[in-house]
Amino acid sequence: MRRQRKSDPLAEARIRFVDYKDDRLLSRFIGETGKLLPSRLTGVTARHQRQIAKAIKKARYLALIPYTKGSQG
Amino acid sequence: MTDPDQREGLPPVPTKATRTYEAVYIFDSALEDAAINEKLDRFHGLLSAAGDISVEHWGRRQLAYTIKKRENGYYAIARFDLANVNVLPEYERALKLDDSVLRYLISLHERELGAPPMSEEELARRKANDDDDDEE
Repeated sequence: MRRQRKSDPLAEARIRFVDYKDDRLLSRFIGETGKLLPSRLTGVTARHQRQIAKAIKKARYLALIPYTKGSQG
Repeated sequence: MTDPDQREGLPPVPTKATRTYEAVYIFDSALEDAAINEKLDRFHGLLSAAGDISVEHWGRRQLAYTIKKRENGYYAIARFDLANVNVLPEYERALKLDDSVLRYLISLHERELGAPPMSEEELARRKANDDDDDEE
């Protein structure tokens, strides 16, 4: 039996383009250590996952979200 | 997607059409507001932009990690249209040389709806494609 697909949280929020400046949105898609979360956990579509990945990399460069969290801070 | 405005990271294709760019600056937060505005004017003067340059000031906020031993930075975001991209290297050089700019990022501005605005028909088609993405 096929597992029920989670609904895309971005589609529900009516977001068409993921903005790298929206650090509060992006922080939902990184884990406790600062890594990108897999889309199977967050339920976003493949298209949105690609946008999120790019946006997070830009946001990290601009020190809006950390590269790593936890031990060294 | 084939929207040329989404080819970020690649050099802009030479064309006569104007492109919208977005630049994020992180200034040293010790700088006075007046000094920051003065610097922004100087940088933007190098651009000879077509139309207005809109500047959004976020102000001082904490950095997620230290940059040049600073904990805080002053964020400003500028959006401008350029018809002639040859001015960009000179502009970027000015940013690089300025020690009070902790960091900057110049990228093509990505619009919420792509450009030009999509028709209803196109939106419906895109939506159908989105759904296809998920099939395994």
